[in-house]
Amino acid sequence: MELKWMGALLIIAGCGGFGFTLAANHRREERALRQLIAALDYMACELQYRLTPLPELCRQAGRESDGCIGTVLVTLAEELEDQISPDVSTCMLAALRKSKDVPSVAEGCLRSLGGSLGRFDLEGQIKGLESVRANCRRELESLSRNKEERLRSYQTLSLCAGAALAILFL
Amino acid sequence: MQCAWDAFLGLLPLWMRREVDERGRTSLQELRLRSKQPPELVLGKESFWLSRPASPEDLAFVVNSASRYSPWTAATSAQGYITGPGGHRVGLCGEAVLTDGVLAGLRSYHSLCLRVARDFPGIAGQAGKETGSILILGSPGSGKTTLLRDLIRQRSGRCPGSVAVVDERGELFPQSGQEPCFSQGPRTDILTGCPKSQGVEMVLRTMGPSCIAVDEITAEEDCHALTQAGWCGVKLLATAHATSKEDLFSRNVYKPLVEKDLFDLLLVMSPDKTWRMERMRTWN
Repeated sequence: MELKWMGALLIIAGCGGFGFTLAANHRREERALRQLIAALDYMACELQYRLTPLPELCRQAGRESDGCIGTVLVTLAEELEDQISPDVSTCMLAALRKSKDVPSVAEGCLRSLGGSLGRFDLEGQIKGLESVRANCRRELESLSRNKEERLRSYQTLSLCAGAALAILFL
Repeated sequence: MQCAWDAFLGLLPLWMRREVDERGRTSLQELRLRSKQPPELVLGKESFWLSRPASPEDLAFVVNSASRYSPWTAATSAQGYITGPGGHRVGLCGEAVLTDGVLAGLRSYHSLCLRVARDFPGIAGQAGKETGSILILGSPGSGKTTLLRDLIRQRSGRCPGSVAVVDERGELFPQSGQEPCFSQGPRTDILTGCPKSQGVEMVLRTMGPSCIAVDEITAEEDCHALTQAGWCGVKLLATAHATSKEDLFSRNVYKPLVEKDLFDLLLVMSPDKTWRMERMRTWN
């Protein structure tokens, strides 16, 4: 009998854990996008006023940023300094491969950043950064829409699903 | 001889580095890359071709590495060159883009000429002991910049006061990261990346130099700025494209320099990179 109850508890905990992980990922995604927007703001300012070369720019923006975005930008700077990749988008892909914990939406935005960096003159580069920033904002808005209700429902639904499964098995 | 050779190899696509390193470490002067043709290594008087042709992507790789993936820092590409890390100059040739009739840059690259920057301390010899203004004459690739670099270094060590260098192309005293590639001398102040005419005025006003050095006088405004500096009692070290004194005298752009007797000495370079010293005479 005890084993049955323990099994039921484990099922509820497992399902609940799944829901809580989804909610945590959502929050992580949002945090990464905010970090990326801040890094893009920094890069645009730095470029406009100091014309900083890309490896230094990425390194500085990486040091200014927290979390996974900072790590990706510093790794990107190292890739650029190694001069073994033909263009920035290849360097960005390599940097993303090395930094494994980047949330998927932020990763998509970083890929598009890699595609726009190092291809244009100053004016074009600033526009490229703005376009990536606008993309990040759109993604952030869609994540933030009804965020609290959505996260609550992930957690509640997962707990309920766990309970339902446990009842079925009992 | 000193050379930022690793910085040069870093400009090249990976497949090319080993062979260029083996064949050119000590004697490579230029590496010429032409799209879909084998790269040409110019080693003194002879050339060597690699077996594999260079692709358009290889050329783009070199341009990206030379500009450190930052086209906004390579404004000189509209003038047909980029100075890469280590002071190695990459000459560009390809399809030009014009904006309102003015050359804005190159859309694609068909040929590149990578010139290896090497330093030979002590080559100025006797000329390094001179204290007057010196003009170095020579054709492209004859070693004017290398000689000027050594003259600057020697003068900086010998003469009282400082030597201000307006290094528009970043070839005289290039940096590799934060480190200078070549020895600069104890009293040398370097302004890099600034047009010569503006740079000469700037250092004259702000750095109080006893000598100003510039590489490759090519425009009237450069001559004007040097004339102003010369009248202020500053000694000058400069290079110009001319094969002889007569050649210099026959060029309109250099007339102000010659007429105003700004230089005391001429160093005339030969194609074999040796030079001879001549006293400057006035124009008329």
